[in-house]
Amino acid sequence: MGIEDVVLDPPLLDLENRDEGFLRLRPGWITELVGVPGTGLTRLGLRLLADLSQVSPVVALDTRCWISPQAAWETGVNPENLVIVRCDEPGVWPKVAAALLEGVRALYAEVPAGIKDQDLRRLAALARARKVAVAMRPMGMGLPAGVSHLRLRALGVTWEGADQGHGRLGKRRLVLEASGKGASGMTRRFEVEDEGSDVVRVVSDVVVGETRRAVG
Amino acid sequence: MWSLGRPDAPSDDPVLIVDDRVSAGTDEVLAAGVSLGMPRREAEALAPFASVLIRDQGEESRRFDPVVEMIEDLIPRVEVVGPGLVFVPVAGAVHFYGGEEALAERVAKELDRLVGQARGGNALIGVADGPFAARWAAATAEVGRPLVVTDTIGFLSRLDLVALRESLDADELIDTFRWLGVSTLGELARLPRDALATRFGNHGLMAHRLASGEDRYVDPREIPPDHAVDASFEEPLETLDAVAFAARALAERMLRGLRVSGAAPHRVSILAESTTGEPRERIWRSADPFTEKALSDRVWWQLRAWVESGGVPGGITRLRISPADLSDEGRQLGLLQDESSRIESERALARAQTLLGPDGVLQGRAQGGRMPQERVAWSRWGEPPVDQERNVSAPWPGATPSPSPALVPPRLQPLEVEWEGGMPTRVRLGTRWEPVLTWSGPWRLTGRWWVGEQDADRYQLVTSAGAFLCVVTGGRAFLAGVYD
Repeated sequence: MGIEDVVLDPPLLDLENRDEGFLRLRPGWITELVGVPGTGLTRLGLRLLADLSQVSPVVALDTRCWISPQAAWETGVNPENLVIVRCDEPGVWPKVAAALLEGVRALYAEVPAGIKDQDLRRLAALARARKVAVAMRPMGMGLPAGVSHLRLRALGVTWEGADQGHGRLGKRRLVLEASGKGASGMTRRFEVEDEGSDVVRVVSDVVVGETRRAVG
Repeated sequence: MWSLGRPDAPSDDPVLIVDDRVSAGTDEVLAAGVSLGMPRREAEALAPFASVLIRDQGEESRRFDPVVEMIEDLIPRVEVVGPGLVFVPVAGAVHFYGGEEALAERVAKELDRLVGQARGGNALIGVADGPFAARWAAATAEVGRPLVVTDTIGFLSRLDLVALRESLDADELIDTFRWLGVSTLGELARLPRDALATRFGNHGLMAHRLASGEDRYVDPREIPPDHAVDASFEEPLETLDAVAFAARALAERMLRGLRVSGAAPHRVSILAESTTGEPRERIWRSADPFTEKALSDRVWWQLRAWVESGGVPGGITRLRISPADLSDEGRQLGLLQDESSRIESERALARAQTLLGPDGVLQGRAQGGRMPQERVAWSRWGEPPVDQERNVSAPWPGATPSPSPALVPPRLQPLEVEWEGGMPTRVRLGTRWEPVLTWSGPWRLTGRWWVGEQDADRYQLVTSAGAFLCVVTGGRAFLAGVYD
């Protein structure tokens, strides 16, 4: 099922500003990015670092060792201030994440499967204490309850531009569902358009019925 | 003067050491008519039986360094001319050691002790007025019997003109002197200086001065102040608390010493010895000069890593921190940059680097290329960026267009794709097949055939599990990126 099946609600008051706020990291907050691989959450996570990268170093904690900084640069991350930390050992991951939370201002962290809830809660407390803006992308199960302030769940993605051999991948439309304390306890759904530049547009408030896989 | 052995020389064969000219040779080679300074080709013709080794001045300097250090322990100011030759001003040391002969004997004795430690080489020691005369006094001395010249002018007057070759590098001038009937330095010194200066210019004047015993002063090297600090522990440090305390104390001691000279380090070497006597050493760098806290943290992190990983079995018995890359300069802070965050971030990244190793913390730099893998030049964080292999501002026609895949494997990964009539229909992702919903391509990528690269076709495949960049070459498909 694709986002063609998504029903658009009438826009709410000041909705656009609030939705864009979902796409900003805040000091001491953990934003959880949930979705199957291929839904564009890596790019979105890197894009969340863009603002803070203009003034201080930001870090992407890469557990798959595949993150490309070029995608981050395209989303507006300052190349001088982006550091990629590669950690493919789940045993060391909590220590590395804690070390980074001690000093950096913004972190996009892939969370490998099998990390203990207890470790994740400690890291969340550390992020709050150190006022670090964090985006976490769990690779296995989601984060335990109470860890994240805002949960962005990818509901669907469509690509425009490619057509049976013609054209090329151009615009990606991603439908996200925001929930948690950061969304004032309400579940909000919105759509993001990404054309490969650092401009990401929040298009509309949308409502979908259930979690689905990414579709093309 | 100190003869330097070559550990790689064959033990029994005659050996000739050359660069452009002969710099050393064994007795058999010299007996065959080869002389030091002779052109290499001529020497090889005279001694075809000799094994020829190329001179390695770096290695010679390294092997000579213990000799220099030993002499500096006795007489503090030493001019190192090159590997194997030093000049030492002895005016002060003569009074201390009770005379020139006593001093020379003491130096010879210490050098003998060094030979006893199998450093290799035999010392020739000469004492005279000025470096030129002392050098030739050493050259005419015997091993273990220093030559103390009391009449320097008389000594020089008996030397052949060839003695000037090394100092003046003027073979033609020496040949001209010989042609004029002058064969010793004494005969040269008796010629009028004005006439020599008029006829032969500066070289002639210098030759006359050297022959007359009018030499320059020795120019000794500066002894750098030793800012390293170390501490030994009778009870090995085994607990992290004890290590932390020692690390902080040592770091503060080193920086206190540096502050006196107004310097701050950008690089420190941390060395720890375990109870087995095995040293572990690690170098830390920082773009900003180390502060006390920054240095204490690093020493602590490093020691903790060693202790926790069992790298110092039995505990730490000795710690040493030595600074390098000292500067007295601050760093200009950017108006819009958050420098305090930057410094804290660097500390955090350094800590992560300790846990993951230097290759775990990376920075990318844009470079040219057609494939996503080619367009990032990786370098270790904290090290100078690597040079771009490909110019980023070149046009790169046929480059994979943006948006770039967010996940790029370091090497192409095999990918199973089903085709029908030249069109992709299904992709195998793990254990399941996903239908291709749409695609773009193929875009031809012409390989560099002269280095064995094959041509390839690129496709962007869109499935219900995401979009992929796929490369098809040699009839096989590979994954080049994931548009995640």
